[in-house]
Amino acid sequence: MSKTYFDETHCAIGHPKSTFMQWMLTVDHKRIGIMYAAVMFVFFFVAVFTAFAMRLELFAPGGQYMDGDTFNQAFTLHGVIMIFLFIIPGIPAIFGNIVMPLMIGAKDVSFPRLNWFTFWLYIAGCCIALASLFIGEGVADTGWTFYAPYSMNTGTNVIMALVAAFVLGFASILTGLNFLVTIHRLRAPGMTFFKMPLFVWGIYATAWIQLLATPVVGITLILAILEKYFGIGIFDPAKGGDPVLFQHLFWIYSHPAVYLMILPAFGIMSEIIPTFSRKEVFGYRTIALSSASIAGIGYLVWGHHLYTSGMSDVAKTVFSFLTFFVAIPTGVKFYDWVATMYQGKIVLSTPMIWAMGTIVTFAIGGITGITITMIGLDIHLQDTYYTVAHFHYAILGGVVFLMFAGMHYWFPLVTGKLYDEGKAKIAFWLNFIGFNLLWFPMFIAGYYGMPRRYFDYLPEFQIYHQISFVGAVVFIAGLIYMFWVFFKGWTKGEASTPNPWNATTLEWHLPTSPPPLENHTKVPYVDFEPYEYHHGEPVVKFNYETMQRID
Amino acid sequence: MDTNTVNYQEERKVYYKVLVGLLLLTAVTFIQPHLFMTESTFLAQMLIAVVKAYLIVMFYMHLKGEKLIIAMVWFAISLVTVFFIIVIGIDVVNFQYGAESHITAPSAH
Amino acid sequence: MSGPYVPEIATDREGNEHEVQGWQGDFYGGKLGFWLFMLTEVMMFGAMFLALAYYNTLHPQDFLDASASLNRLLGGINTVILLVSALTMGLGLLKMRAGDVKGAKLMIWATIILATAFLIIKGFEWTAEYNHGIFLMHDKLLPESSLAFGQKLFFGLYFSMTGLHGVHIIIGIGLMLWLLKRINAGKVSTDHNILYLNIALYWDIVHLIWVFVFPYYYMIGAGGVTGGH
Repeated sequence: MSKTYFDETHCAIGHPKSTFMQWMLTVDHKRIGIMYAAVMFVFFFVAVFTAFAMRLELFAPGGQYMDGDTFNQAFTLHGVIMIFLFIIPGIPAIFGNIVMPLMIGAKDVSFPRLNWFTFWLYIAGCCIALASLFIGEGVADTGWTFYAPYSMNTGTNVIMALVAAFVLGFASILTGLNFLVTIHRLRAPGMTFFKMPLFVWGIYATAWIQLLATPVVGITLILAILEKYFGIGIFDPAKGGDPVLFQHLFWIYSHPAVYLMILPAFGIMSEIIPTFSRKEVFGYRTIALSSASIAGIGYLVWGHHLYTSGMSDVAKTVFSFLTFFVAIPTGVKFYDWVATMYQGKIVLSTPMIWAMGTIVTFAIGGITGITITMIGLDIHLQDTYYTVAHFHYAILGGVVFLMFAGMHYWFPLVTGKLYDEGKAKIAFWLNFIGFNLLWFPMFIAGYYGMPRRYFDYLPEFQIYHQISFVGAVVFIAGLIYMFWVFFKGWTKGEASTPNPWNATTLEWHLPTSPPPLENHTKVPYVDFEPYEYHHGEPVVKFNYETMQRID
Repeated sequence: MDTNTVNYQEERKVYYKVLVGLLLLTAVTFIQPHLFMTESTFLAQMLIAVVKAYLIVMFYMHLKGEKLIIAMVWFAISLVTVFFIIVIGIDVVNFQYGAESHITAPSAH
Repeated sequence: MSGPYVPEIATDREGNEHEVQGWQGDFYGGKLGFWLFMLTEVMMFGAMFLALAYYNTLHPQDFLDASASLNRLLGGINTVILLVSALTMGLGLLKMRAGDVKGAKLMIWATIILATAFLIIKGFEWTAEYNHGIFLMHDKLLPESSLAFGQKLFFGLYFSMTGLHGVHIIIGIGLMLWLLKRINAGKVSTDHNILYLNIALYWDIVHLIWVFVFPYYYMIGAGGVTGGH
């Protein structure tokens, strides 16, 4: 049996003998990606159960298990974990690390030791965030958005949350930096930018956002800390400061952040659709360039989070116009994916049905976003359950569903095993049905006026909360079942070949499954497009000893 | 751009020339409020700063010899940062003082 | 990772050989990575300038008054000190590349001394301001004081930005001391000087930030109280 990356590794410091220390000190991008995944999913479930506790409380009007303050802490914790610890590192940290270097034919990222350091920085940020649960008055109760002036005045652990977010943001910046240099420098010979797989384009656009937007929130968090500790006055009206400035600075990052979340996810979609349609992707260049334009235009639209905060009408109009504009490249991608599927020989494996399910849910998420881009409508829907349903459809039904799709797609690559297809499909349907039951009623509740972040409500809204609760139960059952299917697959599943899906991109042309430590036996010369299929079969074939083309 | 074949004396001269330029500009910074553009000191100061920044970035940081991509990125950053300032500026200029806040409009200018 | 790095060769279908760029020994990659990191620093301070410009627009006269009260002499001396220190750091890099390792180390020491002088003078400035009742959480900057809103905001941002800038200077001194260690250990030399280049670039960015901080805070009120926008 030849060695895989589970058998041997390179370390940042020394040559440890114990397996544990080899994992702790590894600089191998594949192992680092797995460790990110392990930590992230633990926190994901913590946040899911926090949300479930809220759903339980909200099942009936009035207080049952929590008081109002605890409820505020619950939704803050849910938001902080989901956004800063799970989704923003998310796909780049897991699949950007594991798959991207394989896709460009590299042996590792440009700065492997920095990659190792970044992982532990991420862990430090997680520890600080966790610690805020157990110290003093507990988790912040400001919402994950930490708006001034309440965040300046509350006694809960806002500072710890801000420091944690800063450290996590720094880890995000360093990941983006690493990936940018990797993609610029380490592509295999012959692989021009327009021969890269679309997932790499997604990671590339994301890395630019990670690099350029995160510093703004970094400084915003520092300013908030300075305001709270040293009273510099910029967010404090008692000294002439303006709390709305905090909102501007916060959203200048946090809006590009949502593009940071979705672009790698779209990259995964762009990988799965051609592979399971057995066909070249339609409009490769437009999908690639749309990633870049979403990243670019996304910087200009942050004000749509502030429509009701006291901006001038002129500014509101500017932001509304630009926000409509940013939806266009996304629409282009959707049309390209559907066109790719048209007249393809669709293979309905689990990754494909996750991808197709996401097309439905993200379309709903995106279009409801357009609804609230309209200023007149947003006056009524801002801070209601409509907004909450919108972003959960977009983030959970878009980013996370595609993350799950990617997990099903690259599972054989990472583990060398196959999961049970039938059971995985059942898990998908549980998730999909539960998700829609959970979130769709919220559009209606929000339309009728149910405010968000409220721990109590009028009896006329109860029916929506009850349907949502049923959906939550089904959805969580689906999540747990899906992870169980993965666990069984990894431990007892049948062994996989290196290319079980018969795909074309370079990560499937490795000599063994799981991959060896040094990735490809030899770096190939890339004189082919990433998705060349002929009558449903890949055109490019390799001799895996020499990595020469034999087609 | 093979950085190992450096003509030490040539580069040294450039460094000293830039130093003199920067020192001169610093002197101008101090003289300007009393000498020229006194009604628009802010603008004058920022222009001098931009010229200084150009010299530093081009010569001390060797951007002049780098591939175009880095220069393009700097340009893009500046554009985005200026956009932030412009939009906030639009917002502030159209600030509905009485209607939306308790801040009184600045009277003196 | 044992033995010297030998780049791989990829062969295309015509038999031509292409050298593969590995992550080891990638000078341009190291430079690119550091330039990208500096862009993040620029974005950070850029956002602070945004906050500054915003409050400046709302309180133009207060900003001029507050600016006029800063010590332009000390600020100007610091500007010149930082300017010269950027020169010494750059010259040191040139010497290192030309083979004069001893001269390069001297230049690094010169930069460290100038940086420390900068911090000391800044310390004097802040002490003087403290004695005038102007410091964070102190006297005139408390909510109850009668100082105008615009001035409170000006000084709040002044201490924040010069403070953060000072932190970056301290980090820079630390980096230079570490660089000296690496040179003595032989890890940084005439042929392997990417670390030196990156630290010199870092120092240039720290200087660049001051190039904008100094006029905005110290000079806008310089022409007398009526020297306005």
